[in-house]
Amino acid sequence: MAEHRQDEEGGEVPEMTRLDSRQIWVLTIRVGLVAAVLALAAWILDRPAREWGIPASALPGATLALGLGATVIVPRRRYRRWGYREGADELEIRRGTLIRVRTIVPFPRVQHIDVAQGPIQRPFGLATLILHTAGTHGAAVPLPGLAMADAEAMRDRIRGKIREDLA
Amino acid sequence: MSDAPDPIPRRLHPATLVARWLKSAPQMLAGAAGLLVAVRDRDLAPLLTFALGFLLLAAVLAALYWWRFRYTIGPGEIVIEKGLLRRQRRIIPFDRVQDIAIERKLLARLFGTAAVRIETGGAAKDEGTLDMIALADAEALRDRVRHGAGPAGAHAEAALPEEPVLFAMDLPRLVLSGLFGFSLVFFAVIAGALQQLDQFGLFNWSDWFTPERADRAAHLITARLALGLAAMMLALGLVAGVGRAVTRDFGFTLTRTAAGLRRRRGLFTLSEVVIPIRRAQVALIESGPLARLFGWHRLSFQTLGADRKEGGVQVAAPFARMAEILPVLAAAGFPEPPPRQALHGVPRRALVRQSAPALAMAALAAAAAFLVEPWLGLAALALLAAALIGILRWRKHGHALGERALFVADGYLKRRMWIVPYEKTQTIRVMRGPVQRALRLSNLLLDTAGSGALVSPEMHDLDAAEAETMADALLARFQAARAGRPPRSSS
Repeated sequence: MAEHRQDEEGGEVPEMTRLDSRQIWVLTIRVGLVAAVLALAAWILDRPAREWGIPASALPGATLALGLGATVIVPRRRYRRWGYREGADELEIRRGTLIRVRTIVPFPRVQHIDVAQGPIQRPFGLATLILHTAGTHGAAVPLPGLAMADAEAMRDRIRGKIREDLA
Repeated sequence: MSDAPDPIPRRLHPATLVARWLKSAPQMLAGAAGLLVAVRDRDLAPLLTFALGFLLLAAVLAALYWWRFRYTIGPGEIVIEKGLLRRQRRIIPFDRVQDIAIERKLLARLFGTAAVRIETGGAAKDEGTLDMIALADAEALRDRVRHGAGPAGAHAEAALPEEPVLFAMDLPRLVLSGLFGFSLVFFAVIAGALQQLDQFGLFNWSDWFTPERADRAAHLITARLALGLAAMMLALGLVAGVGRAVTRDFGFTLTRTAAGLRRRRGLFTLSEVVIPIRRAQVALIESGPLARLFGWHRLSFQTLGADRKEGGVQVAAPFARMAEILPVLAAAGFPEPPPRQALHGVPRRALVRQSAPALAMAALAAAAAFLVEPWLGLAALALLAAALIGILRWRKHGHALGERALFVADGYLKRRMWIVPYEKTQTIRVMRGPVQRALRLSNLLLDTAGSGALVSPEMHDLDAAEAETMADALLARFQAARAGRPPRSSS
């Protein structure tokens, strides 16, 4: 544990397995949806905004431009910050662009495991692995963006280890 | 129960009828009082009928509850059946029972009964309660669970006829603890009661508190009067504190049992709880600013599946000297915390986050006070105090990696020392926000089961690289402790 990697700002997390690259698309759709909703709200607010002296279409236009920009930039940044390492006895997850979080879950502490698949993940064949512990602050630790088969294989591996521990 | 011939289903003690009926009576009376006001001038006869009807209904409900509640103590399990319309049948195997808590409220003591709470450590709030059964039955049930198919270690109970007392509080100590537990809750209660009366129209604030009266009162308020009032409040607060401490902690005794620590306490409501050692996750020693000056501390354990009233925290010694706390810690298998000088502090640059913002705002407010509004000076003072507290707190925040546990100290006014055994780790989390990233700082949390959401042994603003190394070290120590290997010597 002597030399520890200092991850560069904005750089990739070293030594970590990346999520499935299709997760970028999932993130893109998610950010895109939020941007679309905001743009719609701005479009509705356009008329009242004009009465406040804001030029016509300026509000929806700006929102749309910002939304598009975010949809292009944010997913890649987010994706790059995700990484995991499946150790012999623990799972380590790093995530977060603004707030960086590194979580270590020792396998003996896993109470049960979920493999969940959201509506956006489904067409891409991706899933989220969720490790539940008896802890209080973040008792459920999610790892999204795994190919369904990988998530299931990982779940089975971890489950096997929990059994070993009980035996 | 046609197919289970040997264990006989039993009902609760008949006194339950009276207790449940009386429990609902205050609400009934309040309702009746409300009605009384509503129909102030009218005929009383229908009202009385109404009130009688209410009381009768309550009695019938209590009787139905009693009638539909049955419990069966089988050879290896207890079965509880209850519910009027929606029947519920719960089976609790004895070997799943963590403990049986016996509580005796005033009424229960009059009837010679007790409420029994069966704790299994599950997530459900109400796992199994027998409220109330005869005291002898309650004790028999407890003994049966402990000696019979109880958790490992319960068999040794018989070998300890006299449980060694670890900590006890006599009356003088109790009164003293009450004085330190000075409380203004009393006033809140009085104010609340007045407001209730106001609602019922029996007491009217606006009638009583008129501008003329206020004006007259303002003339009457002298320094002496204000001082007298303050002294009275202080005295009442002290009385309230002592009253609370005495009723809650009267006869406080903590004894060592085979599997845990047994706590008995209470003046009107006697309660008895066993804190199972295997379930104790974290020990917390805390002390308020005043009590600390005189060397008094409080020890509690965070447990799994604990008493729901106290939110997973069980007090083991409410008001004790450090020398009295250490044996209790040792009995529960927790290591002794190191002296404060031995703790590793937090880098100085953490002050930028913990104190500098308040300081900057204080300067701003002070400038504004001179230029615009003099009263902003007060805000400046408050912010200055906040900044000062930030500095003091920073100085007191520290941690140490011991042989078997992590020690975390936090808080300036109320000081807390957490003892987290490595093997109780659930997850390890390193976290840093944008400001912390710029300052190369990180928070580190060793998450445990059953901890409160508000106070947790999180280490704030450690050096980022150190936090990462420490997270790895904590994981290694957890794994070593799990594997039963001798823990590595501290770094």
